[in-house]
Amino acid sequence: MRSGFYKQTIAEHLALTDSWTQRAWIAVALAALATAPFVLDTYLLTLVTLMMITAVGGIGLNILTGWTGLISLGQTGFMVLGAYGYAIPVETWGWDPLAGFLLAGLVPAAASVLVGIPSLRLTGLYLAITTLASAFIVVHLVLEFPGLTNGASGIFVNRPTVLGWTVFTDQDLFRLVAIFLVLTILGALNLRRSRIGRAWFAIRDKDDAARVMGVDLRTYKLYAFVASSFVVGLSGALYGIFLSFVTVDGFPFLLSIEALAMLIVGGMGSIAGAVLGAVFLVGLPEVVSMVFSAFGDSARALLSTGAHEVKGVLYGLVIIGFLRLQPEGLMGLWRDAQRVWTLWPLRY
Amino acid sequence: MSAPLLKLTGVTKRFGGLTAVNEVSTHVDAGEIVSIIGPNGAGKTTLFNMISGVLPPTEGRIELEGRDLARVAPHDYVRHGIGRTFQNLALFKHGTVVDNILVGRHWRMKTSLVEAVFHFGRPRREEIAARERAEEIIEFLEIETIRDKVVGTLSYGQQKRVELGRALATDPKLLLLDEIVAGMNQEETEDIARFILDIRDELGVSILMIEHDMHLVMDISDRVHALNFGATITEGRPAEVQAHPGVIEAYLGAKAAAARAEPAPLLKARAG
Ligand SMILES: Nc1ncnc2c1ncn2[C@@H]1O[C@H](COP(=O)(O)OP(=O)(O)OP(=O)(O)O)[C@@H](O)[C@H]1O
Ligand SMILES: [Mg+2]
Repeated sequence: MRSGFYKQTIAEHLALTDSWTQRAWIAVALAALATAPFVLDTYLLTLVTLMMITAVGGIGLNILTGWTGLISLGQTGFMVLGAYGYAIPVETWGWDPLAGFLLAGLVPAAASVLVGIPSLRLTGLYLAITTLASAFIVVHLVLEFPGLTNGASGIFVNRPTVLGWTVFTDQDLFRLVAIFLVLTILGALNLRRSRIGRAWFAIRDKDDAARVMGVDLRTYKLYAFVASSFVVGLSGALYGIFLSFVTVDGFPFLLSIEALAMLIVGGMGSIAGAVLGAVFLVGLPEVVSMVFSAFGDSARALLSTGAHEVKGVLYGLVIIGFLRLQPEGLMGLWRDAQRVWTLWPLRY
Repeated sequence: MSAPLLKLTGVTKRFGGLTAVNEVSTHVDAGEIVSIIGPNGAGKTTLFNMISGVLPPTEGRIELEGRDLARVAPHDYVRHGIGRTFQNLALFKHGTVVDNILVGRHWRMKTSLVEAVFHFGRPRREEIAARERAEEIIEFLEIETIRDKVVGTLSYGQQKRVELGRALATDPKLLLLDEIVAGMNQEETEDIARFILDIRDELGVSILMIEHDMHLVMDISDRVHALNFGATITEGRPAEVQAHPGVIEAYLGAKAAAARAEPAPLLKARAG
């Protein structure tokens, strides 16, 4: 911890940033997002776009799992609901994409109340299994109502026109997704410093004490479900736009595992950790495929036919590795590094 | 005459075949400091759990200012003025001291989920007001130097003090303290004793405390209620209870005899 500067007013304690280094980092990140579309090639641009969409979903899950301590494997289901919540009104009914994005949040949020109410007394493994079941039910329902969802054939999704701005090129899509990411981060940071965020932390750390402080556990767990699935739904809609197509096949169950892995890798409960985790997990298969290519064509063939399985195994290894060696994730590593940096050559 | 602040009538708690609390009746008047004593397993914490809404009584009636608490939802007890600390630390361990104290302000605040996303206007003003109140409490308990520390990193005595702060932040009328000085050294205990008296005298909060530290009990209680095996042995002024044969037999034993032979006032300044 750095010493030597004191806060003078309460408002300073409330500020989201408290040092110039932090502000400098934010400026660098924003500048990088602004210039990336001009300098990155299509491959990298697409990759970073996917990282950002994944990060939005990770921040969403973090509200439920990282902050409130409720483990969920329902990510896939809420993403599917978000994607269809966007695609049906916008593509089938011709609604404005802004309304589509709103529904992409509201539909999964409403559904999460249905999942949340029967899960209120569950924690840990039981909750994980219940939420997993909900994801399967969602996929099943999509296939069951082809009149609305077009069944297994799915819905083609155009790039949207938002407030007169037509998202057309990959560069545009990158910018659209970047805007969503930045807004998501801001919203999540605000939640974190509010009474709502504190109530979630209180439930996670000591629910009995939280209740004695006046936190209604049922309401606040449902709030966590709602806020989380709203954001996850948005990432689902963005993913649909990214794929140009919304089908249940586009949202494999692996996404639920990936999202949880992201939080474990990045550092549970941290927004920056969710972003780092997304970068790491989306980037990892790319790095691995580069390595595989170096081993020649047969290795590459294995990767293209079994991409899914390879990813699954990779995620599994990464989760186990981090849980064993670095339970606080990349954010933990970063904090350790900072400490070493400020305190060096002292050990502690 | 107006109703006492807290009134228990025949309060009983059974866990299966075990009667942890058996027909306990007592009361706390506004401005009083009442202690509950009794050996391990006497049912003291169970009694607190019922008064604070953590557990429903099996039988009996708990009233606060004449209102039956049976119909009050567990998370609404705080709205009626009941604050408490826990025997085993129950802080939110990943939060800082300020964060923990702010959770005590939770029920006083109104910001909704949607408002919280924007942190603008009323939510912001409300947050600043809550933090100002938290600062007052931090100053009152003299924990300024640790205000931004994550509570998991603090010493036991410090964490207990933060718990006291969190309970105070709920603006209680009645504060329940469950063995707050257990595990503290002499100096820390004296600090807490001073805080308890100040909380009563300056903040006008009544106090019901479970305590094993007999010096503390004798020094600051207006009344003492002794329990054994869930049932009341006796209740009265500290000296009376201490001298009661049933109490000596059940709980104080040889230790009490020693303490009576050589009265050592804990708060020398106040004793003088
Ligand atoms: N939730 C529970 N379920 C079952 N039995 C319980 C429960 N809570 C307490 N008990 C039992 O009730 C009895 C009273 O326990 P309690 O914690 O109230 O004692 P205590 O007076 O606070 O003791 P100590 O001084 O050790 O804190 C004990 O026998 C305990 O095992
Ligand atoms: Mg106890």
